[in-house]
Amino acid sequence: MDKKKMKILVVVDIVILVALIIILMTLKGGYEEQAKRTANEQETSYLEKNTQVLVEQWRSIDQYSMAWKLVHSVLSGVKTEPAFNTTLAAIEADKDARFKQISHLYTGAGINENVQNGIFQKAGLAEGSILIKGDKNSKEVACGKDCVIKFEFAKGKLKNLDYSALVQFNLSKSLKIEKPAEYHFE
Amino acid sequence: MNLKNISIALTVLVFGVIAMLFMQKGNYVNQAREHYEMTTAKSFKGNSMVLELVNNAIDMNKATWAIACEGLQTVKTSQDMARLEAKFFPATKGSMNITNKTRRFEASTANIIVSNFAKVEEDKKTGVKSLAGLVSVDVSVLLGKVAAPVETEEGADEEGAEE
Repeated sequence: MDKKKMKILVVVDIVILVALIIILMTLKGGYEEQAKRTANEQETSYLEKNTQVLVEQWRSIDQYSMAWKLVHSVLSGVKTEPAFNTTLAAIEADKDARFKQISHLYTGAGINENVQNGIFQKAGLAEGSILIKGDKNSKEVACGKDCVIKFEFAKGKLKNLDYSALVQFNLSKSLKIEKPAEYHFE
Repeated sequence: MNLKNISIALTVLVFGVIAMLFMQKGNYVNQAREHYEMTTAKSFKGNSMVLELVNNAIDMNKATWAIACEGLQTVKTSQDMARLEAKFFPATKGSMNITNKTRRFEASTANIIVSNFAKVEEDKKTGVKSLAGLVSVDVSVLLGKVAAPVETEEGADEEGAEE
């Protein structure tokens, strides 16, 4: 190859190199930013979805605990409709006792206080009343996810109490933590 | 000659930079994927463990509550209570305290109930004492009211002749 062609090649090489380096630098920032942003977005979305399951479990346990306390109190005391109403109201209003009862179950399960408080901060206590049907003669009480117990009264007195749903209470089928999906750059 | 070497070196460099251009995206994607996988795997592991431990704890908790509530409905004597305990926990037995007229059932340290009876009865043939007239079932441990009723003397199970 003659000298002139060599010179042209060197000049072309230098021009391409400079252009490539500029492209490299421009894309670098873009890729870096996009990689960080997409990873963060996908992490946050997974963590939120994931934590939501524990929030739901916590609130379910609140309802479950109140329901047991209600059944026990009704069976221990005067078995009348007014007594039922008073007991239910008292149980729902005593938020400290509700927390204590949930926390007791979690502690017994081996979950430490920090984790419990972390869930409690997000979940709080179950919202609204557990009384889902409040007819004079027929009451239905929520006792956690997919759990309802029934109290029947006749002339103001307890006639029938069905808490079999509480005895069979099981969250392992209704609450599941999904495995994280694959990371996507796009 | 010198110019020839320079031009060869520059051409190699150009191809090198082109290769870098294609590789850099892969590097960032890999870094991001690593971070994502580490964070989500940690969360998956930790939260699954909480979910499972609590779900397992419910099993024992609900059975203990069930004894307390079914006891209030059906139990009259400590023998009845013993049968009820065996229905939910075949391997765990409660213990009586004749002095206090109580029967304590401990499924685990977190799941304890104490039944209070009205009187002590004694089988004339065998001399085995039992409790009768269920008054109440104390569930304060299940409610998380810390002080678990303390077990005193007479811890032995005296239900030998119950079945």
